[in-house]
Amino acid sequence: MHRSGFFLTILLATVLLVACTAGGQTLSSLPSPTSLPPTPQSIRLRDGLGTEIELSGAAQRIVSLAPSNTEILFALGAGNQLVGRDSFSDYPSEALQIQDVGGGFGNLDVETIIALQPDLILASPLTAAEQVQGLRDLGLTVFVLPNPLQFDDLYTNLMTVASLTGRIQEAETLIVQLKQRVQSVDEKLSGIARRPLVFYEIDGTDPNAPWTAGPNTFIDMLITRAGGLNFGHDLQGDWVQVSLEEILRRDPELILLGDAIWGGVTVEAVMARPGWGELSAVKNQRVYPFDNNIVSRPGPRLVDGLEALAKLFHPDRFQ
Amino acid sequence: MKIGARLSLQSIQVAYNGKAILKDVSLEVRPGEILALVGPNGAGKTTLIRTASGVLEPAQGTVQVNEQDIRQLTPPERARWMAVVPQARQLPATFTVVQTVMLGRTPYLGWLGFPKKEDEEIVQQVLRRTQLEALANRRIGELSGGEQQRVLLARALAQNTPILLLDEPTAHLDLHHQALILKLVQQTVQECGLAVLLAIHDLNLVSLYADRVALLVNGRLQREGLPAQVLTKSEIEHAYGVEVELLEHPRLSAPFIIPHSNGSSERIAYVG
Amino acid sequence: MKAPSTLSFWSARPYLVSGLALALALFFSVAVGAVWIPPQTMARLLAALAVPLDLSDVPPAYRTIVHNVRLPHAILMALSGAALASSGAAYQGLFRNPLADPYLIGVASGAGLGAVIALALRWPATLSGWLVVPLAAFSGALLTVLIVYRLARVNQSLPTTTLILAGVAVSSFATALTSFIMLRSRDELHRALAWLLGGSTVNGWTPVWAAFPYIVTGFLVLWSLGHVLNVLQFGEEQAHQLGIPVERAKLLLILAASLTTAAAVSFSGLIGFIGLIVPHTMRLLWGPDYRRLLPLSALGGAGALLFADLLARVALAPQVLPVGVVTALAGAPFFLWLLRRAKSEFIW
Repeated sequence: MHRSGFFLTILLATVLLVACTAGGQTLSSLPSPTSLPPTPQSIRLRDGLGTEIELSGAAQRIVSLAPSNTEILFALGAGNQLVGRDSFSDYPSEALQIQDVGGGFGNLDVETIIALQPDLILASPLTAAEQVQGLRDLGLTVFVLPNPLQFDDLYTNLMTVASLTGRIQEAETLIVQLKQRVQSVDEKLSGIARRPLVFYEIDGTDPNAPWTAGPNTFIDMLITRAGGLNFGHDLQGDWVQVSLEEILRRDPELILLGDAIWGGVTVEAVMARPGWGELSAVKNQRVYPFDNNIVSRPGPRLVDGLEALAKLFHPDRFQ
Repeated sequence: MKIGARLSLQSIQVAYNGKAILKDVSLEVRPGEILALVGPNGAGKTTLIRTASGVLEPAQGTVQVNEQDIRQLTPPERARWMAVVPQARQLPATFTVVQTVMLGRTPYLGWLGFPKKEDEEIVQQVLRRTQLEALANRRIGELSGGEQQRVLLARALAQNTPILLLDEPTAHLDLHHQALILKLVQQTVQECGLAVLLAIHDLNLVSLYADRVALLVNGRLQREGLPAQVLTKSEIEHAYGVEVELLEHPRLSAPFIIPHSNGSSERIAYVG
Repeated sequence: MKAPSTLSFWSARPYLVSGLALALALFFSVAVGAVWIPPQTMARLLAALAVPLDLSDVPPAYRTIVHNVRLPHAILMALSGAALASSGAAYQGLFRNPLADPYLIGVASGAGLGAVIALALRWPATLSGWLVVPLAAFSGALLTVLIVYRLARVNQSLPTTTLILAGVAVSSFATALTSFIMLRSRDELHRALAWLLGGSTVNGWTPVWAAFPYIVTGFLVLWSLGHVLNVLQFGEEQAHQLGIPVERAKLLLILAASLTTAAAVSFSGLIGFIGLIVPHTMRLLWGPDYRRLLPLSALGGAGALLFADLLARVALAPQVLPVGVVTALAGAPFFLWLLRRAKSEFIW
């Protein structure tokens, strides 16, 4: 009995320890809804997976499963209708006060989501369809906001979220502002003589074969709209790994470090990489860190991204 | 148990990787006798045992038990006719003696392997006969080489077959265990009328325990008959390439073989 | 202390101990989670599983969490753990190699490839295809084993060394292909990685119903081969001489073990160490008899995985760690301890 008894005791002790120290939410510790004027009619919309979603009124207890959705909600003034958000939602800073529901490693904390008693879960294609189905099987309402391909799709998404949250007016105002800003950029860039070749680095862990964005990605679209030429525009795939030799051969005019936000990738470090010293962009000191979030999250900050890119590519047009 | 089975190998040819190991070997082992299979290393003794037990398929020739080709038998049927005592090497250390011996009952147990009262009794009997009762619950990894070999013999005896094949059971054993094993085999043959094929390298043990001898050299059966007939000075010197002296055993009519040790290596004939 | 393997085969103690550990693990898996539920409510919710109770005053969120999230998840983890541990034991017996685990001949890499292909094809564009990823993983696993089997077969026999080598070769190929596909599809890379690290991301009862028949059938077949595995420990030649139809037995073992492992991996992702360590632990405690080792490994594997899953869920709440990470972190030192133990006494 010694050996098995010993094992059992260890097992029991550890489990009890874990059970007692496990923090965790109770229903009462989670935020309760603030009151808002009720909207009379029901809302019916088709989501990105083709499912028809019906809400009896504007959603008041929303869980966002994508940082882009969180940004959209706050941009529409619906921040206080948010009761839960995924781990990566970090903008605006108020989002950090909202209850975290997991999402790293693809694993959501379903229990916390349920305990929040949401009336709407706003997901994106980042969430696996199986997980969406799983949440729906538990009786929750999940709306998957599709990824926009162009700015117009972004505006449609804003209106969709606005309908779901009763913020139509705020959305209309926001869209007008965004359109104006985009148009302004287009106008400032009209008649540009040439498009600088831009290398946008997504991952430079291996400096001899860094990753960049291929065609049909946001980044490619934004770079093009901002008057540049994406290095990866003629390559295959969404994420592409290119050799340093190819970069040397094509010799881009600018290098943008999208991986600067992960830390450890500074302009000095990149310029000091062996072989990189030969690049014109390094010699001319046209290597810049770039906030990847404003060109990869499909929210209103894409316009921020557009403006930032355009200013980098054609500073003369933006005095 | 089935009594009085005869094992016969007819014109056996076995090749491996294009090289012939056994060339046209024919043997018969009769009930109630021990046939010793002797020969130099590499002569093909183990291969012959493996062919006889059905593990190896001969390229030509047949193995028969009471005139029935063993290829027509299912594995459990074959295992009820023949049991093999292999050399005690690389045994799973944590099995106990009694567990190992019980595995000898496999051909009689169902697929799930649960023993009946009868099986347990047979195992107990065999443990008694092989003097393993005291070691019954010991793990075989903790036993000496001689004891392990005895366990394998016990397992084969538990298999309760009329034919027994032993592959060099006395290799690596001390005098005590060598004698013990062979005495046990002899007793069982006398009590139960087994037909035993015993591959063995120690010629003097052959003289003491075997009824008949078969000399295998380079895959061919050189000579077969009584020990005195096969173990002659010329046959041994031809087969093993060593000069020997033959002596008469004080009490038995079996020859005793002593190799020369006077360093006359240039007189060693090579086996061809 | 009496040597463990001399415990009579019919002794109930090993089963009682393992069963008790499993019951405890199940209890804690359901009772503990990211959301704290008051003990009284928890007791009533648990009791409601056995007897019909009026739960109208219990907040529906609690009820959903316990009955529809934690309970099916716990059962799935228990099934997967049982599957992995019993196949691991079977492979260790079949290959007579203490380092064998259920992924040895390609199940894991095949499942990973299948899953990643399904993800890369963005198949679940409509929700009706949500089962596609597990099904693709399952097919991938079985296809890979089939390929390995065909490669390793020599005439009518299946030499185990060739089987292992073929398994390693095919696994490497499948893994390389998986990495390649993953790198080509940006959006799915995230999900693919999560899947490969282990831990079920699918909730609810459906995966339980889907995995259950395969795991149970496969396990029963394995268990019935317990005696055959015992005989095989003495080598294939001696097994043959004892009357076992060795090639047929090997094929059955591989099929059954692959079936259970594929089902477990398809719904729970790749979880390592359970299939390797649990059988050794059970062997150390209760001896090498496979007729007993297989069911005990199943019980032990279920408990171990439940325990690891519990840690994965609460250690960094609300972040849910992939179970595979926990089993690796806990498994490695445990394995080292086991090795030290093995040096001082025979355990294999």
